[in-house]
Amino acid sequence: MKLTDLTNKYYSLSIIGMCKNAGKTTVLNRLIDEMTKDGKNFAITSIGRDGEGSDLVTRTHKPGIYVPSGTLVATATQMLKYCDVTREILDTTGITTPLGEVIIFKARSDGKVQIAGPSIVSQLITVREKLRSFGAQRVMIDGAISRKSLCAHNVSDATVLCTGASYDKSIEKVVADTGFICELLTVPEYKDADFEKAEESGSRNCFAKNADGELFIVDDLEKTLREGKIKTVYFGGALSDSMLKPVIMSSTSIKGVRFIVGDASKFIMSRDIYIKTIAKGASFGVLYGVNPVAVTINPFSAYGFSFDKDEFMQKMKGAVKLPVINVEEV
Amino acid sequence: MELTFEQKTDIGFEYVLDLVEPCSCFGAAKLKNTSVFSSKESLTREFDNIEKILTVMDARAKAIQIIDICFMQMKDISKTVEKCKQTSLTDVELFEIKRFLLLNRDLYPAFKELNDGTDLWDIEFADLSEALKIVDPDNTGVASFFVSDASSPALAAARAEKKKIENEIRLTGDPARKEDLLIQRTVIAAKEEEAEMAVKREMSKKLIPFLDDITKNTESAAKLDLTIRKAVLSRKRQTCRPVISEEAVSFENMTNPKIADVLAESDKSFTPVSITAKKGATVITGANMGGKSVALKTLALNTLLALCGFFPFAEKAEVPMLDNIYMISEDLESVDKGLSSFGGEIIKFNEIAGKINARSMALFDEFARGTNPDEGASIVRAVTKWLNGKEAVSVLTTHYDGVAPLAGSHFQVIGLKNVDFNAVKKEIDAVSKDRGAARIAEYMNYGLYKVTDKSDCPRDALSICKLLDMDKEIVALAEKYY
Repeated sequence: MKLTDLTNKYYSLSIIGMCKNAGKTTVLNRLIDEMTKDGKNFAITSIGRDGEGSDLVTRTHKPGIYVPSGTLVATATQMLKYCDVTREILDTTGITTPLGEVIIFKARSDGKVQIAGPSIVSQLITVREKLRSFGAQRVMIDGAISRKSLCAHNVSDATVLCTGASYDKSIEKVVADTGFICELLTVPEYKDADFEKAEESGSRNCFAKNADGELFIVDDLEKTLREGKIKTVYFGGALSDSMLKPVIMSSTSIKGVRFIVGDASKFIMSRDIYIKTIAKGASFGVLYGVNPVAVTINPFSAYGFSFDKDEFMQKMKGAVKLPVINVEEV
Repeated sequence: MELTFEQKTDIGFEYVLDLVEPCSCFGAAKLKNTSVFSSKESLTREFDNIEKILTVMDARAKAIQIIDICFMQMKDISKTVEKCKQTSLTDVELFEIKRFLLLNRDLYPAFKELNDGTDLWDIEFADLSEALKIVDPDNTGVASFFVSDASSPALAAARAEKKKIENEIRLTGDPARKEDLLIQRTVIAAKEEEAEMAVKREMSKKLIPFLDDITKNTESAAKLDLTIRKAVLSRKRQTCRPVISEEAVSFENMTNPKIADVLAESDKSFTPVSITAKKGATVITGANMGGKSVALKTLALNTLLALCGFFPFAEKAEVPMLDNIYMISEDLESVDKGLSSFGGEIIKFNEIAGKINARSMALFDEFARGTNPDEGASIVRAVTKWLNGKEAVSVLTTHYDGVAPLAGSHFQVIGLKNVDFNAVKKEIDAVSKDRGAARIAEYMNYGLYKVTDKSDCPRDALSICKLLDMDKEIVALAEKYY
């Protein structure tokens, strides 16, 4: 199955990993390969940068990104010494990172590139649009290690989640946790003008709304839920176990209540609390959703062991509702 | 220039700087470092330049537009220029130089057109087309940077060889063969890099003779940008070219954009202020609510603007060459230091008294208001008398009696002077009592007039008491105590 069959209709695509060595770069290279065959003009950038140093620690084979001539690349100046394509500098963006200013170049030959894009979402959006103005039909965003930042809304039209044996020795844990992340990534969007305003203002407060649409600032969540006929609760910032635990432990009914955060990256609660909350009849929502389109699996771990690829595939398919692809198989 | 940033913000100077809106990063940097001109010649030239632009800005609007567009795209390359003097530039840096030179190329004819017969002082753009040829040897004229194959036979050879291997990599299905080819490719890529480095090194070396001209052009860009912006601002508002006088600071109908814009939001307008202050002391008196402080701030603002090479916001202006403007006004600094506001004022006064000379202006807003009025009045009289004997231009606002006669000249807020008292009274009686004060404010004339007789502070306070229906018995008593 071609990966681009799943991603083709989107302009920007982010690739995020559950851990290092989840196969992100392999996925990226595969997308590049497929897009080259399709004759697409594409661009590559990243949010922040994968720490190359830690690869030296695990001594794993890092594929490196090999791009064809014509590829547009947005990367920090200090990465240029690791790029061996013949290049034409197209623009400097004025966006500075610890690795220098982010610049845009066009590959005038095939070859290896190393990417370190902006680490701030708004800057990434600027770069993405600049790449579009230079003629990119598709932009691929390497999500670095952290899956978090790329969940932020507006950055990409679609997302591929990479997971693999490097995440944990136990196949069950890899499958269960990947399933949970997928579940969080697909929490439905819930639109509410008041909450969106709070989110935009960067509020750290917690707000609740009752059935009549009245808005409260929440101090003690359990008390608010007990006393008012609360329908929705919005958390500015992240939603953690410690916020939900007192509610779940109490006898307060949360049936029909929806807990809302800005985007999926704000869910930092455990799977246990998530399941218990849903079991008590509540649900979750995000103001800005992401669009996961596929899960890729890498049965080989960077730490010297591997899973049976068929078993891994089968179990993962059972745990997520998205198409699952083995990165090593074309 | 001894005004603090807070004072400059308070008088509206920072507000005016914000109105300038430079197009180039060079202009923005120069604007940030705005300071008073030290020589009469350079200040005159600055005013000449603004006037010259004003004369041609309509007829040559197209040229100015092209210049502005170039300015907006120019980036600060000073670090790259410095680096080029020392060592070889990278392709990103050469790209920056090339972009600058291309913009310079676009700007050059537009500037020639603008400057034809205009002959701006101290603004020149060197023709850098020879420098552009260095970074764009193939004369592509495109804004990207690429070391072309034509630059060096070694480079062309390496790239051709690399290309061959890359094609093979694309075609081979054998992983072992591919691995082998990739290693070969890496070796060739290193050769390519070496050849490219040599070209870049050569380019950097050839650029060195042009670096001074590049720097000069950025300086000219800063000057031209600000001159155009000042002219545009002058056109938008009532401004004038100031005369550089020998000793008097004088403004006719000056305004303060910061305060005027705030007033405009509530459909009110700023009453223009006229004042002449010569060497020695000038006193501004007026009732409370009368806008003495506004007059003083406006004077400080426009004097400072003129000294910094701006057209002041007035119909007519005269300023002598001054190095410093000092101002003592109500501020929080003394409170922060734990001093009473009076103590703070005295300490500041001591500092200023030691510094003022023929090239300073000293402004005092309601000096010594924070202490007991009898003593305060005596101190202000003494200060005024002392300042009047000095070479500096000093202006004081006060509502203390007996100060004005000790000053060289005396201005008073027109206030309610020309108002038909009975008509206003009738109108105020017709509206609700609590809106009376607002009504008075509307009738208040915030302009200044020069007092030529020996009269002292106006008696508007008592008039205001009457207008606002203060108990008749008290008013009668007050009149007795006057």
